[in-house]
Amino acid sequence: MNKIKRWRYLAIVSVLALLVAACGGDGEGSDTTEAAPDTTEAPPDTDTTEGSTETTGATGEPEGEPIVIGGTLALTGFLAPTAAIHQAVGEVFVERINEQGGLLGRPVEWQLLDDESVPDQSAALYERLITEDEVDLVIGPYGTGNITAGMAVAERYGYVFPHHTASLTYAYNYACHFSSWSTGLHPNITNPNLVYDAIESSGNTPETIGFVINEFPGTMFIAYGEPGTDEGGAVTEAENRGYEVVLDLTFPTAITDWAPIAAQVADADPDFLYIGGLGVNASSLITAMNAIDYSPRGMFTQWPAPGPLLETEGADGIMSVTIFEEHPPFTDDPEAVEVAALINEALAEAGIPYTKVETQAAASWTAWEYLQQAAEGAGSLDQQAMCDYLLENGAQTLFHGDIEFFPDEQNYYVDLSKVKQIQDDDWFVVYPEEFAAPDRSVTYPLN
Amino acid sequence: MDLLVQGIVTGVLIGGLYALMSLGISLSWGALKIINLAHFSFILLSAYLVYQLTVTFEVDPLLMTLVVVPAFFVVGVLTQMFFHWAKVDEFKSLIITFGIFIILQSLTQTIWSADFRRISSDLNVYGSGSIIIGGIALPTPVLLAFIVALAIAVVMSFVLGRTYFGKAVRAVAQDPEMARAYGVDTRRVAVILSGLSGAFSAMAGVFIAIGQAIFPGLAVSWFGVVFSVVILGGLGNTVGALTAGVIVGVAAGAAAVTWGPLAAPLVTFVILIAALLFRPEGLLTSRSVA
Repeated sequence: MNKIKRWRYLAIVSVLALLVAACGGDGEGSDTTEAAPDTTEAPPDTDTTEGSTETTGATGEPEGEPIVIGGTLALTGFLAPTAAIHQAVGEVFVERINEQGGLLGRPVEWQLLDDESVPDQSAALYERLITEDEVDLVIGPYGTGNITAGMAVAERYGYVFPHHTASLTYAYNYACHFSSWSTGLHPNITNPNLVYDAIESSGNTPETIGFVINEFPGTMFIAYGEPGTDEGGAVTEAENRGYEVVLDLTFPTAITDWAPIAAQVADADPDFLYIGGLGVNASSLITAMNAIDYSPRGMFTQWPAPGPLLETEGADGIMSVTIFEEHPPFTDDPEAVEVAALINEALAEAGIPYTKVETQAAASWTAWEYLQQAAEGAGSLDQQAMCDYLLENGAQTLFHGDIEFFPDEQNYYVDLSKVKQIQDDDWFVVYPEEFAAPDRSVTYPLN
Repeated sequence: MDLLVQGIVTGVLIGGLYALMSLGISLSWGALKIINLAHFSFILLSAYLVYQLTVTFEVDPLLMTLVVVPAFFVVGVLTQMFFHWAKVDEFKSLIITFGIFIILQSLTQTIWSADFRRISSDLNVYGSGSIIIGGIALPTPVLLAFIVALAIAVVMSFVLGRTYFGKAVRAVAQDPEMARAYGVDTRRVAVILSGLSGAFSAMAGVFIAIGQAIFPGLAVSWFGVVFSVVILGGLGNTVGALTAGVIVGVAAGAAAVTWGPLAAPLVTFVILIAALLFRPEGLLTSRSVA
């Protein structure tokens, strides 16, 4: 082969490698932070109550034209590991609502499309769902970037937009978006302080702290506060408490080698290690720290994949945040136990190894409840009426109790997060005390 | 200083893993003119098989090498037979194998779901183990990967440089028509070489499975580093692949320690671009089969 031809192929492959690497991630997220625009156009056909009944809470067989709920999820791509949970939960919810008489007496269908973990694709598909498929309702996708993109479309057509776990609370000023992940408007202040309170509830206060933060926008927001402001953030809040920050690292979302980070953590040797991580970040870092024979005295990770951490040697004692766990007092409600069992079964059938209901599954179920209660409360599928209903009445949810929506708090209610910790090879809520599993409290330091 | 030394040492060792992941692509591209992107799926699929067999039979994951390596040798053979039958050239191979990559990734997701999988520490004694020498830790998964990569690089270098099969491979790489005219069974040579590439990918999959959590989208994150190693090492050059893997590993590791983790991918791509600009034929051209 002549040199020019070889060069051409080298260039093609290199471009491909660069493109794929740029698009890729490690299953732990990548994002855009673009806020939803303010413009609102009239929806093409938002009041599709034709054929529906005005009654709510029907218990007989659903009748009439199905109500089609459109939405996307990251069925493929780097968000797919977590989106699979949302798919399983959504399927359980739709099956259950149909068994219980449908929505407004009509059967419900979920038109689910794959946004491939790409925000642009999410926006395009919501546009299609609303304008071409003319779905009756929409439900949000998974992943902050995809939610942000989908929300902009929903806002343009005035659709009520319940969604699960968008982390950039400050970015969403659309009045009819409803987050089912109640973190309050300032989780960059409330979340870290909850964690620090939890640590100090052990009777021991760390003198030094180290931060290892994924450059994913959501984790950066929690760690450093809203971009362009100096308000809040886990680092600042730690300093405010008098903890000495001895390590402050950020790492790329598509990271392949954890050893250098582990070495720097060991070198700094903080009393407490705060991992602003997603997915398997913490699991990978703990493995790398074990490999250099280092064990932190205390650890926290922001939004982990809970299953792999349980399988990771050296992860015992790590803390995280959650909104629901399958133990008392969360399971005091028999219906919560019943639904959790259905979800466990669905997750197992979907081949998902960790089948317990925690933040993702609970938030997913809650988003569907918002949609159901908005329609039933409004007595129709009129988007504005549904939005008004939720704003005025809030929602009664199975996993989070009663939720209110305050538009000036971007509909994020208040921070309902709790601190959980791996103890005896399982996750238990350990703080606040009133939500702690029986006979469980924060363990710190670990060694 | 210890921090930098630790970063360099782990960089050297992880370079072995990078080399192992790159060997198959390098040989396939250099000798057979096949840019086999499906190789990434073979690595991933091998990792999943190691995971599944380990958790199902509760055995040592390294024992699964005895299963996946022969299995992927056969996969490599079948792949090359398909390429031969379909008369796939260098450019077509890029497109076709990218399609195979997508199909296999979807298949992986269908079988194991999109969620993360990890061999539990009860079954995987290597996952977080290490050997400490003079205060410097040598993590077991990458240490094993480095040893295996070194052995393969040396043996393959000997085979390609000193044996009849190696001469045949080089002849096929340089001019298949002429090689055929001189009695080389080019098809047989290609099939065996492709089988070896598949076996090397399976070996890489073993160390991925014991070292980290796996999920279907993981393979995408390997593209940048693997192509950096392949191009820097020289096409079809096994010793070059190991050398390049070590260079990339050390440079990225040292950059991460010195300037922070965000600098590591930057350094990897700077190396890739520099290699394309200044040494597109690779670092060790005299040992290359291409």
